[in-house]
Amino acid sequence: MKKLQRASLLLSLIEAMKRQGSWCGETSIQKAVYFFQEMVGIPTGFEFLLYKYGPYSFDLTDELTALRADAILTLEVRDPRYGPSFAPGELAALVKERFAKTINRYRDHVEWVAGRLGNRNVAELERLSTALYVRLHNAGASTENRAAQLLRLKPHVRPDDAEKAIIEVDQMAEDAEALQAQ
Amino acid sequence: MVKHFHEIRDAVHAFARLDSDERKVVDSVPFQRLRHIHQLGLSHLVYPGATHRRFEHSLGVMELAGRAFDVITADENRDHRVAWVFPQRDLLSPWRRAVRMAALCHDIGHLPFSHAAETKLLPKDVNHEKLGVDIIKSDAMKQTWAGITFAPQPNDIAKLAVGPRKLKDETFSAWERILAETIVGDSFGVDRMDYLLRDSLHAGVVYGRIDQYRHIDTLRVLPESDQDGAEPRVGIEAGGLQSAEGLLLARYFMYSQVYFHPVRRIYDIHLCDFLTAWLGENQFPTDLDRFLELTDNEVLVEIAKAVRDESHPGHEPAHRIARRGHFRLLYERNPTDAAKNPDAGEAVHNAACQRFGGEFFRHDRYREQGSAADFPVKMRDGRIVSSVAESDVLRNLPLVNVDYVFVAPERRVEAEGWLADNRDDIIGRVEEDES
Repeated sequence: MKKLQRASLLLSLIEAMKRQGSWCGETSIQKAVYFFQEMVGIPTGFEFLLYKYGPYSFDLTDELTALRADAILTLEVRDPRYGPSFAPGELAALVKERFAKTINRYRDHVEWVAGRLGNRNVAELERLSTALYVRLHNAGASTENRAAQLLRLKPHVRPDDAEKAIIEVDQMAEDAEALQAQ
Repeated sequence: MVKHFHEIRDAVHAFARLDSDERKVVDSVPFQRLRHIHQLGLSHLVYPGATHRRFEHSLGVMELAGRAFDVITADENRDHRVAWVFPQRDLLSPWRRAVRMAALCHDIGHLPFSHAAETKLLPKDVNHEKLGVDIIKSDAMKQTWAGITFAPQPNDIAKLAVGPRKLKDETFSAWERILAETIVGDSFGVDRMDYLLRDSLHAGVVYGRIDQYRHIDTLRVLPESDQDGAEPRVGIEAGGLQSAEGLLLARYFMYSQVYFHPVRRIYDIHLCDFLTAWLGENQFPTDLDRFLELTDNEVLVEIAKAVRDESHPGHEPAHRIARRGHFRLLYERNPTDAAKNPDAGEAVHNAACQRFGGEFFRHDRYREQGSAADFPVKMRDGRIVSSVAESDVLRNLPLVNVDYVFVAPERRVEAEGWLADNRDDIIGRVEEDES
């Protein structure tokens, strides 16, 4: 995927997340892109590892800063307690106009992710994204096993929340398969 | 009487202090090699004073790492919300040793002339950090570690020296992440503090001067935000905000004025062309014996040979480096063009190569990475706020954005005329590729 083409998708995702009520700080975007790439299967090409609040991509952090340098994204401060939010920058309209076909092609995928993650807080995003990470790295393992694995990675999560997150991610994966089949 | 503590005179910190065990690492073959790796590649061809080496930078980073460790672990500086992250008191001393050793070794895997040719020369998935890890764990260092009292595990040193970003297969505890951030972190890593101070001193520019004492004194381990479950990271007390602003402004100016000076950048590109022609693309030796033998000295000797020998595969780039026949700046990014096409330089480069041939042009693109300006600040009433919210300076800090196209001097006049005639058409072209 070309750099600006990928930028157009990140922009779409950020706008869709905002419409769903997301704060759109870096953690929200990190987790949304993780689902976009690893569950919905859009080849954005970021490498994720377990780091801050679950799966995290240093490449994506770099890309978000680079897009700010290009004025495609900008930072907004809404509440000093929660860190800045990302928003479309001065050149966002140009990129969206130039890559309208790409945006249209992936519109359903973007809305799918935003609809499921846009209204979640950081703690929920951490649980769900870690549950997806566990699912991807423990193919075929039972719900209980994966919940235990999630708890090993995130000891501060409550056991019943861990199991709920595993079950919810399994359901999301089924829905995502249907989306991909369309 | 045998002396157990030593001082080395240092241009930036007056002294780098070390104990006898740390001196064993300094005396090792891999560390001594850093005496022959220029900190700033070929920058001395632009800034004649910038001839300093990775050796003294590494000593400086160790000096600062020890100071930063003492500040963040001091009882009076600990924040109760993240008290869980600190190790037991009896383990602090071994961790301090590991941090200083890691700081000392953080650049031990650098190629000749530092960053100039790393991406193109090394095999895929290898970088100087990975080479550094291999050296720290190597037989060459085994004997050194064996001779040290209470030596940290080589793997712990490697983790702290490189950090989670470049050591993707390792799991880091929250404490290890904090320590790695203290050394090589985006915002306040002591690596960055030392190179800004040292590079500006030697290059003869004042931009890199920062208030290192105030800054280190205000470093704290803090929750990232006031939210429940916020992860710990390195931040600052409110009183250090101005020194943090100063550091990040210094970084911006050093990037703009020194590290991305166009002539410095084209020398790096010519050096990369030379090394690729001489050694082959992605063929730089990574077996450690051969790797440790190659320093700037060997490369400079080969450049001198290549200049005299027209049949040498690297003759042309060697000539450009040694005889100042470097490519000249044809195009650089500006806001008007960027508003039409964020990748204007790429468009100019592609069109120029098509028109005149690729051998006459080089493209250099860099956009700032990381998230250095966003970190937690502990206010006087104990609240944690985002630095970007609290500081107008950090909120509006410019981001480095470089987009250069260079042309061979023999085609410069022709290419400049062509670009003047076709500029709008070339820069306006952005084609959507649906593949």
